[in-house]
Amino acid sequence: MEENKQVILKVENLSQYFKMGKRYLKAVDHVSFEINKGEVFGLVGESGCGKTTTGRTIIKLYNATGGNVYFEGQRIVAGIHDYKEAIKVAKEAYKAKVQQGIATEQDKIELAEEVSKQRENIKKAKYDHKYCNRDHARKCVQELDEKWLPILQKAQLKHGVGSDEYKKLHAQYKHDRRVAKNERIVNKIQMIFQDPIGSLDPRMTVREIISEGLVIKGVKDKELIDQQVYDVLEKVGLVAQHANRYPHEFSGGQRQRIGVARSIIMKPDIIIADEPVSALDVSIQAQVINLLNELRHEMGLTILFVAHDLSVVKYFSDKIGVMYYGKMVELATSEELFAHPCHPYTKALLSAIPLPDPDYEKTRTRIVYNPLRDHDYRTEGPTMQEVAPGHFVLCNSEEKARFIKEIEGK
Amino acid sequence: MAKEKKLEVKDLVVSFSTVDGKVQAVRDISFDLHKGETLAIVGESGSGKSVTSKAIIGISSPNALIESGEIIYDGQDLLRITEEDFHKIRGDKIAMIFQDPLSSLNPIVKIGTQLTEAMILKNKASRKNCRKEFNQMLSDLFANINKAENNANVEENKTLAKKFDEFNIVAIDLENKYNASVVAGEEYLPNADDLLLKAEKGVKADFVKMSKSFVKDFAKCQHEYFITKETIAPIIEKAKANHNDKNGFSLDVLVECVKAGKEAVLNAQKLTKPNYFTIGYYVYAHPEDDLSKYTVEELNKLSRKVLDDEFMLSFIDKAVIAMKQSDKDSCQGKRDLIDLIANHRHIFEKETLDKKECSEAYKTLCAGVEASIDKLVVVKDSLAYTFKYSFKGAIDKYFDAVKNNPKEQAKYEKSKAQWEKLASKGKTPDWKVTPPAIIDLELTRKTILMIFDRLVAKYETALQDEAYDYQQGALNLVEFFKEKARGVVDVVTPARARAKALKLMEEVGIPEPAARFKQYPFEFSGGMRQRIVIAIALAANPDILICDEPTTALDVTIQAQILELINRIKAERNLSIIFITHDLGVVANMADRIAVMYAGKIVEYGTDKDIFYNPKHPYTWALLASMPDLETKEKLEAIPGTPPNMIFPPIGDAFAARNKHALKIDFEQQPPLFKINDDHYAATWLLHPDAPKVDPPRIVTQRIARMKAKNQELQRVANIEEVATAVEEKPAKKAPAKKASKKTEEKGGNQ
Repeated sequence: MEENKQVILKVENLSQYFKMGKRYLKAVDHVSFEINKGEVFGLVGESGCGKTTTGRTIIKLYNATGGNVYFEGQRIVAGIHDYKEAIKVAKEAYKAKVQQGIATEQDKIELAEEVSKQRENIKKAKYDHKYCNRDHARKCVQELDEKWLPILQKAQLKHGVGSDEYKKLHAQYKHDRRVAKNERIVNKIQMIFQDPIGSLDPRMTVREIISEGLVIKGVKDKELIDQQVYDVLEKVGLVAQHANRYPHEFSGGQRQRIGVARSIIMKPDIIIADEPVSALDVSIQAQVINLLNELRHEMGLTILFVAHDLSVVKYFSDKIGVMYYGKMVELATSEELFAHPCHPYTKALLSAIPLPDPDYEKTRTRIVYNPLRDHDYRTEGPTMQEVAPGHFVLCNSEEKARFIKEIEGK
Repeated sequence: MAKEKKLEVKDLVVSFSTVDGKVQAVRDISFDLHKGETLAIVGESGSGKSVTSKAIIGISSPNALIESGEIIYDGQDLLRITEEDFHKIRGDKIAMIFQDPLSSLNPIVKIGTQLTEAMILKNKASRKNCRKEFNQMLSDLFANINKAENNANVEENKTLAKKFDEFNIVAIDLENKYNASVVAGEEYLPNADDLLLKAEKGVKADFVKMSKSFVKDFAKCQHEYFITKETIAPIIEKAKANHNDKNGFSLDVLVECVKAGKEAVLNAQKLTKPNYFTIGYYVYAHPEDDLSKYTVEELNKLSRKVLDDEFMLSFIDKAVIAMKQSDKDSCQGKRDLIDLIANHRHIFEKETLDKKECSEAYKTLCAGVEASIDKLVVVKDSLAYTFKYSFKGAIDKYFDAVKNNPKEQAKYEKSKAQWEKLASKGKTPDWKVTPPAIIDLELTRKTILMIFDRLVAKYETALQDEAYDYQQGALNLVEFFKEKARGVVDVVTPARARAKALKLMEEVGIPEPAARFKQYPFEFSGGMRQRIVIAIALAANPDILICDEPTTALDVTIQAQILELINRIKAERNLSIIFITHDLGVVANMADRIAVMYAGKIVEYGTDKDIFYNPKHPYTWALLASMPDLETKEKLEAIPGTPPNMIFPPIGDAFAARNKHALKIDFEQQPPLFKINDDHYAATWLLHPDAPKVDPPRIVTQRIARMKAKNQELQRVANIEEVATAVEEKPAKKAPAKKASKKTEEKGGNQ
């Protein structure tokens, strides 16, 4: 990996809890990773480990419980759970001191400071989470104004307010301004869904499905919309005539292509591909993967690729994160991960990949992961630690020493 | 491996009548399924894989037309038996795991009920069935004995039969009790390990509750020949006193008890198993004798001797007599039948058949076949048993065709005239003229003659090799009786069904089965639902398991678990499996033989090694090339286009349009199956001696070379290890194998 790559998406301690009666289900629990521009980041794990939830939380389909997501330096997702927890901890510590009778005036002041600091954080987080789009839109409008106002002024001086030239330019400006006003930063991140049948509205034509994003954004120029729809259709390997058809008239692979077209028409920087090939036949799988690969090079896309088929992930991704029950357990470049898997869960996962090789399959033995047996966290809990450059594993210091030895030993 | 054919599919043709026309989903496929093997059917969606499997299990959709073919299982043609008969086979003998778990579970019935329902119902039916078969065979046997002895000692034989029946049931009752304790012991071990692990790692858990369940579980292991009461009682007392102690519960004491229990079970598993078949007789014949004074070994020896002296030898002698008699009769029957067929052949050799003559011939021939079947042979001869059905089917088809062909022709003429009328006016009608569904009378007549020829040929060879081992046959009979008697005694109560279901749920990897038992299907995730469906299919203990993409929707770890489970159950129960999938990685793991299907035809057919290391058909190449493995770097070669529309199937090779290597003849004529070796066939013109030489795509050849190199390396490493350990210490026989596999595992992880 080159050093000077720009970080486009930064996920920091992201948590997503769901309420289940009185308890919380920790679907995603303090997950952190970074994606560089133009990279494919693969997220793997068994079903129910929170891969999809992570993707959906990044794109703000859920409101994050805790942690932050930065897109090009701008915070777009912010949760408040961690700050609340910090307040709780501080208050409890003070209470304990009071009970023991050793609390001083200094402690009280410190508590008040801590609480006010965290409350400030909460306020900021809430604001960012809610208004990141508005701020972005304002910025866009401002940029647009800066660009257009001099032109308009010039035209006014040259032709006068009532002239046709001025009116035409003004209309153009109005249209662009409306689009800019509806600009949302999360639109730069688009999603491809797993189920190509379930994610397309059966009552809309392909044109309507693909152009829906543009329409919501405020584009009213029919010709422009059509032009763009035909462009993306061509890009994903369909033809312009397909725009008037309905989803049921397509085969599985073509439907998934429509899903891809729908996401790239917004000219995103990042695509979150949530198991885009899991529901497809092998031959069609290859078509869709090739398509994504071409688009990626052509449009400079960054892709967060969520999947459970490890051979596909290995083929497609630069970096891979392995998740287990809401936690990221290992994070490394794909070569490194497959060459030196450290975490016992990763080893178990890799040992389960079936290969098209009968002789090898007859001898393959699967490793079973049992967290209780494989770890000893009585004295020291696990944290994310770097065992080799760019290779992070969730472990404690004793395990870390062992992993480093393993890597060097090989 | 003795290749006993479990299921034969011959010339199956299935099509669907739809609004647009007739979709030819399966076009003339044939394959066999041997006992204890896995046959994988691979292909894209729409290639007819699922249609074939649905035809086998008799659940084709209402608009499906099964045009011709035979599916033979256990001497019956599944395409021609009544729905009533099919009830006895479907789910019980042939079970199926479906692709979509949600649609195969009832959403308003709890999982537990769905799992146990079939078990209880099927148990009732199978007990009845076993009893019937047992009695039938026994009466056949003694009828033959009486015949051989000219009714000399009818009374004696009757008591013999009664004796056999009664003592067998006593034996099985005893054995069930013993097995229950052995199973309890097996179940106890993983629980004990879990508890010890938790105690050791200091996990917070309700140990008092665990202690109580330990007492309950462990008490079930008690049996006089397994873990004796003397061993069990003190451990249980200690644990009970511990968790009932008001002063507080001590974890150390519990751990001590569990450890002691574990040791007791492990020791007990090494003991000699009592032979209940013989002991059962001893108990039955000498009820006054006290068994507790003998050890297991002594008891086994003693009871064996008593059984042989008092009963078995005479029984086997009688059975041999019966078998000789029955064989003699059936040989006579076969000879008679050959004559009969020769006499009746002329009826079917005429240009047009006479209905009355045919039905009379049918009756006499069926009676002849019935007489020629040797009923005392346990393995059924499929040809003789299906003769009746296939013969009847062919005759019916002929006379239906005589009746319907003119009608079809008239219909066709009418619609054609209408079409032409419209066309002459310059309009193009939006419907098409469907060709008439005319059945070839000549062909049907030939089919009937072929049925005769097949049977005659089979019987002639059977008559030639006379050497039949009667002694072995008699022993087989005894085994048959034992098995059926077990089926009769094996009662599944709701409580037992529940226990069995819980065990199955645990086997398929559902955590906390007891809690999950009471939940509804919507409370499960997709993977969990699929496991439930698999558990339901396995609950009936089927003979043949059809898996229709069982792991497509699951992730790798679960997929590996489920495949392992299916493989293990296959080995344990000697199951035959038809495995349908499009994932070649899965196939490599599971299959013994593979059939690659495309557009309703089998295009390549061979063992797993043939298909993966030496693929011949361009479609197989394309499938292999389009999936990435862990070392693929270059661009994947996707198959261009989509499968053909099966309403108008292509005239030539169906894959030609998407095939880079297609020859001109591919578009004109369908390729036959070319033989590559005894097990390996492929339908492609490229194998014709005149065809140009075409190599598989680079991505495939490279991968094969890589796989070979890797396997050789593995083999080499394994050999070195073996030699090294053999030099070091000679007696350690198992160690090399284990080490080798460990090495493999590491290697696998490295790739």
